[in-house]
Amino acid sequence: MKKIVNILLSTLLLTGCQQFLTVQPDLQVDQSQAITNASTAEAAVNGLYNRLGSDGYYGSNFQALAYLSGGDVQWTGSQGAPQEITARKLTADNGYVGSAWNAIYRTILQANYLLEAVPTITDPQLTATRKNQILGEAYAIRALSYFDLIRGWGGVQLILKATRTPADNTNIPRSSVDESYAQVLKDLTTAEPLLIETTNRNKITRKTVWAIRARYHLYRQEWEQAETYASKLIDDAANYKLAKPYSAFFANNAAATPESVFEIAYTNSFKNGHYNWWLPPALSGRREWAPNAALVVLLNDPNVGGNRKDLIAQTSPPGNLWYGKLYYRIPLGTDPAYVIRIAELYLIRAEARAQLGKPAAALTDLNAVRDRAGVPASQAATKDALLLAIETERQVEFPFEADRWFNLIRTGRAAAVLGITDATKYVLPIPNSEILADKALTQNQGY
Amino acid sequence: MQKLLFAGVVWLLSCGGLLAQSTATRVSGTVRTDNGEPLPGANVVIKNQTKGATTDAEGLFSLEARTGDELIISAIGYQSTQVKIGAKNTLEIFLKESASQLNEVVVVGYGTQDRKNLVGSITQVNADEIKNRPVASFDQQLQGRAAGVQVAANTGVPGDGIFFRIRGTTSINASNDPLYVVDGVFVNNQSLQKITTQGQANNPLADINPADIESISILKDAEATAIYGARAANGVVLITTKRGAYNSKTKVSLNASIGQAWAPKLWDLVTGPEHATIINEAWTNDGKSPATRPFRPVSEGGRGLPEDQPTYDRLNDIFRTGALQNYDLAVSGGTKQTRFYIGGGYTSQQATLRTNDFSRASFKLNLDQDITDKIRIGTSNILSQSNRTNARVGDGPQGGILQAALHTPTYLPKFNTDGTYAKWAGFDNLDVLINNTDMHSTSTRYIGNIYGEYDITSGLKLRSSWSIDYNDYNEYEYWNTLTNRGSASKGLATSSVSKNTIWINEQTLSYRKSVGIQHNFGALAGNTLQGNVSTQTLAQGTNFPSDAFKQIASASVTTSSSNRNQYNLVSFFGRIDYNFSKKYFLEASLRADASSKFAEGHRWGYFPSAGVAWQLKQENFLRDVNVVSDLKIRASVGWTGNQNGIGNYASRGLWGGGNNYLDNPGTVPVQLANPELKWETTRQTNVGLNIGLLNNRIGLEINAYSKYTYDLSLQVPLAQSSGFSSIYRNDGEISNRGLEFGINTQNINKPNFQWTTSFNIAANVNRIEKLSIPVDASYAAERMAQGQAFHSFYVYRQLYVDPKTGDAVYDDVNKDGKITVADRQFYGSALPKFFGGLNNTFAYKGFDLSVFFNFSYGSKVFNNNRFFHESGGTRDDRRAINKNQLKRWQKEGDITDVPRVTTIGNNYNLSPTSRFVEDGSFLRLNSLVFGYTIPKAVLRKVGISSARVYYNGSNLWLLSNYQGPDPEVNVTADPTTQGYDLGTPPQPRTAQFGLNLTL
Repeated sequence: MKKIVNILLSTLLLTGCQQFLTVQPDLQVDQSQAITNASTAEAAVNGLYNRLGSDGYYGSNFQALAYLSGGDVQWTGSQGAPQEITARKLTADNGYVGSAWNAIYRTILQANYLLEAVPTITDPQLTATRKNQILGEAYAIRALSYFDLIRGWGGVQLILKATRTPADNTNIPRSSVDESYAQVLKDLTTAEPLLIETTNRNKITRKTVWAIRARYHLYRQEWEQAETYASKLIDDAANYKLAKPYSAFFANNAAATPESVFEIAYTNSFKNGHYNWWLPPALSGRREWAPNAALVVLLNDPNVGGNRKDLIAQTSPPGNLWYGKLYYRIPLGTDPAYVIRIAELYLIRAEARAQLGKPAAALTDLNAVRDRAGVPASQAATKDALLLAIETERQVEFPFEADRWFNLIRTGRAAAVLGITDATKYVLPIPNSEILADKALTQNQGY
Repeated sequence: MQKLLFAGVVWLLSCGGLLAQSTATRVSGTVRTDNGEPLPGANVVIKNQTKGATTDAEGLFSLEARTGDELIISAIGYQSTQVKIGAKNTLEIFLKESASQLNEVVVVGYGTQDRKNLVGSITQVNADEIKNRPVASFDQQLQGRAAGVQVAANTGVPGDGIFFRIRGTTSINASNDPLYVVDGVFVNNQSLQKITTQGQANNPLADINPADIESISILKDAEATAIYGARAANGVVLITTKRGAYNSKTKVSLNASIGQAWAPKLWDLVTGPEHATIINEAWTNDGKSPATRPFRPVSEGGRGLPEDQPTYDRLNDIFRTGALQNYDLAVSGGTKQTRFYIGGGYTSQQATLRTNDFSRASFKLNLDQDITDKIRIGTSNILSQSNRTNARVGDGPQGGILQAALHTPTYLPKFNTDGTYAKWAGFDNLDVLINNTDMHSTSTRYIGNIYGEYDITSGLKLRSSWSIDYNDYNEYEYWNTLTNRGSASKGLATSSVSKNTIWINEQTLSYRKSVGIQHNFGALAGNTLQGNVSTQTLAQGTNFPSDAFKQIASASVTTSSSNRNQYNLVSFFGRIDYNFSKKYFLEASLRADASSKFAEGHRWGYFPSAGVAWQLKQENFLRDVNVVSDLKIRASVGWTGNQNGIGNYASRGLWGGGNNYLDNPGTVPVQLANPELKWETTRQTNVGLNIGLLNNRIGLEINAYSKYTYDLSLQVPLAQSSGFSSIYRNDGEISNRGLEFGINTQNINKPNFQWTTSFNIAANVNRIEKLSIPVDASYAAERMAQGQAFHSFYVYRQLYVDPKTGDAVYDDVNKDGKITVADRQFYGSALPKFFGGLNNTFAYKGFDLSVFFNFSYGSKVFNNNRFFHESGGTRDDRRAINKNQLKRWQKEGDITDVPRVTTIGNNYNLSPTSRFVEDGSFLRLNSLVFGYTIPKAVLRKVGISSARVYYNGSNLWLLSNYQGPDPEVNVTADPTTQGYDLGTPPQPRTAQFGLNLTL
């Protein structure tokens, strides 16, 4: 008896205690088991798109930063962050700026993990082609992420390794704008041959990389390459064309139409917050912001907006408040987030051609977009007239996407159009919490 | 009676000796308590001489004295008496217990202790003293009752979360709540609520019926708490429930009360015309054309002239007079071997804010049975069900019932032109919410244990127990198509079932022994095993056939999820105590805890403590100082830990699922590993003084403490370029230093009239001593930073409004000519400088009156309602405006702190500013009770042993400079934010009438 008690006691105290105190998590897995074979790698790829489409990034805040800054969207809600942005009183502790920054770097972390882990996997289920495709997607999404960071904040810290311990990726200084863009191009060129040349509007393919490159070269004023890469998609008319009328790419629950080169898809198991900020309360949103009076006039103008007026609607009287309805579908939060559409490639090529001294070809591209919107063809003939027409066209073509602000900064027209003369305001502040947490990081001037 | 007679005879005899000759003789005697027990350690001294003696274990003493000398016999906790030495030189002396609390048996960790022998700092509150306030939980009833215990309700909704701090705030990310132990069961006080009510959370302690509680013991210093080791850094609250008495007649007691609750003060909003005037003024101040001002004639395309605007009072629609009712029935009694207590209770409390209700039905059974004279078994059980009807109250417009009333501009109509419900500015239509909010929850709770005790030999006792705290929290919400949440998705319903189980197995071996009267020992050793498992299942449905269908089974689109997590603890503990002649006291304890939350190598924490006390009254020099009846100095030091509130897997590097794409499962990294993570540790030193004067009619307790918490288990912000926002790391140190003062007096103690006063006040100075990076609170108007107190507001400071321009001038801290984030500064804290309570009770014949005030001084409140209500026209038709906005600057020379209304510049676009940081000090008439006990003679005829009727009012009067209705407020249950007022209903004022009956 005594012996048994002794055994029981020692078991309880030594091994039992050890076991009792080792509790495995039920909901999550240890990081060592995260990417180890084909199926876990696939899950991590899905996680990558999820990060790209998260609410901080294309799922809402990043795009909101662009259109709230662009001068056509007014703040109509209660939150302080959009109030600051639209009032041009942006401070370094603005929550929208912080969450977008955070979401983009999380996307980069996920890409870095995949880039490091996938080459080491030895699983017959994971073919070389599939491995390459995954790596290509990771490179391309990392490129897009850095591209968005640069157009928002200027040159940034280039994090190219996965963070596995808190000591990783520290003391990295900011790269210049040129260095940062060089990394984008490097990732895009690496991605291109790894990817399959196919049409998939919800995932990265070689064609998606071409479209992103077209935009990249436009921002870099490399007009010939911009024209070349835009043409690669425009010429693929079997797969990409301007949907007619304008609303055909989003109304009546349309998704992944030929208009789209890359749009992030949302379902019940992955939703975004766009609708919440745009729709009025009667449609379950909170109308935190809305098209301002000037934009309403433009969109309703048959010679400017044309059938793009379908982007807006009014609440019941006596309110009669205008609201944007690009994001509206049921179940709520399942609207696609548009990353790049064929219309943009037409306008990229139009601008590149105008810059390259091909006004007639430029006008053709511009009028393709105008024709789809049901507005009369433009007669712009000179380079300057064309550039101005393209600028106005972008304003009404992408009013609720991440375009207007970046476009005016890119062309140096923010002062003339928006009256913002302080050039330090052309970039967003680095979130103040980052400056506190990272001694190597410097704040943008003026904040 | 016989004893009294006998004592009288002794006294007479000694008086009789007055005339006798005075020659030195040896006088001996026995000192006994008035129930005849010998009283060891009593002091016997000769008046005006230093000579004296102390009674031994049998209460015997002897000394040299002369006839005619007067002996003063005293003992701690007893009324001293004087005896003249007469002819008889063998005396028998009886001492009456003094009416003070000193004789109380105080519940301490794993045992009890006589108050007079306490070394640690412990406040025990008898449930009878605090039961008057009609709130859902005992923790709120403790407000103002114990020195150093800060209690504040977040909202005026019964059953909502309570801010409860014993001696300050020690942690940032781990819990700051004390450990609650009910009859030896460690109970959960973290809310299981999953369906949001916009920031607030239910208080799980409201599952316990306060009427079942006998006493509450609050352990404050390390000497008292360290026996609870890793969970004791924030103090320990021991709750003892009522038990029957052995050998007693069965007693039936009934308490019934009904009453009302209402909101004493609401917000002052402007009228429609005033609103329109402000908006037009901002328009012209912006430099825009008056011809296009928003409120111009409808014929010109405007919203109508200001004077034509209507005014709708929505606040009146949403507040009501709530009904309160409470019934408790208890039966208790016992035989020689058995004692029992059976209780049943029902309470129902309507909040003053519509659609919020709380009700609870509870059942209590305590039973003890002696099997032999050495073996005893017993059980304690609480079974209750709390039902809540909820509403979205705090932050966020959707479904926010108070926000819809408080923040919808007053000029906007309730209906659209076409007769449909009008909805403004992201808010729901208030009428829709009042009639259609459908959120409710049911908490089913069982707290119980069984124990067996075995008296191995005299003084040596083994006890083993199994305990469980089981809570099932079942929630449901349904938003029909009239509500904003349900309109687009054709109805939305969420069902959540959360279960939390704590089980504990515990063994203790205790020993008590006295050698002679001088050496008194006690020892305790024990171990516990504890497991905690929580699971959650959540389902959501949208797209219902019609508003008549409310269950998710009828929805055409459904999603669901489930989750489970767990942690375990292993503990060993021990304590020894020793006193020499009840004069010098020494106690020491040690607990070792191991938690599964940490990685191997960092699991075990060791928490020692030691305390000493010196009873000066037992020293010769105080023996004959009659005015002093008790004088004890105490000192202690000890270490305690904190692991509550830290994630169960906080030390591990984790990837999580649920991050899907195209309905395929996706995973992402969610947490970086820190295998070095360990406990937070708090070192506390305490010195204390207890003074009893005039036979303990005045009792005083003073404590000074210093708590220093290090190795904070903190979510340290990481540079987000890492892809992570934070990591759990032991980083940061917090100190709390304080003084506590409490006094109880019996001012008048006549047979027909008694008056007692108790007063307590405490000051705590909190300071974050070390923090590598400032951390924003969940509401970023508050920031935690090195050198600042917790809950400090971090704002742009408005210096004044320029009388010339009407623009707000802010403090440009870095003098760079611009107002940027660098110009934010710390501006007071939500923590009070001092707080306490004052209670007076009066009894005159059958009448009793108790008047209880509590107060708090020096705290700040961020009035975020005003931030919205005074937005200077920037919010136009989206937010209501308050009367204070009317004090805006209008013309040159105006002196005001409300700047010119405009949407341009910093006047109203900068946030947060000091303009909305207000003084939160207050003095509250917390409760007033007036009762009448019907004379026994009347009752005897109807077979009732006692009956009392009473009136009970709470929160009857409030003195405060705060502009909102009530400064005791907080928008969120998140512990990092405190003193932040946004859309929460004020504390109710209540009046109740009740009846206590005992059969």
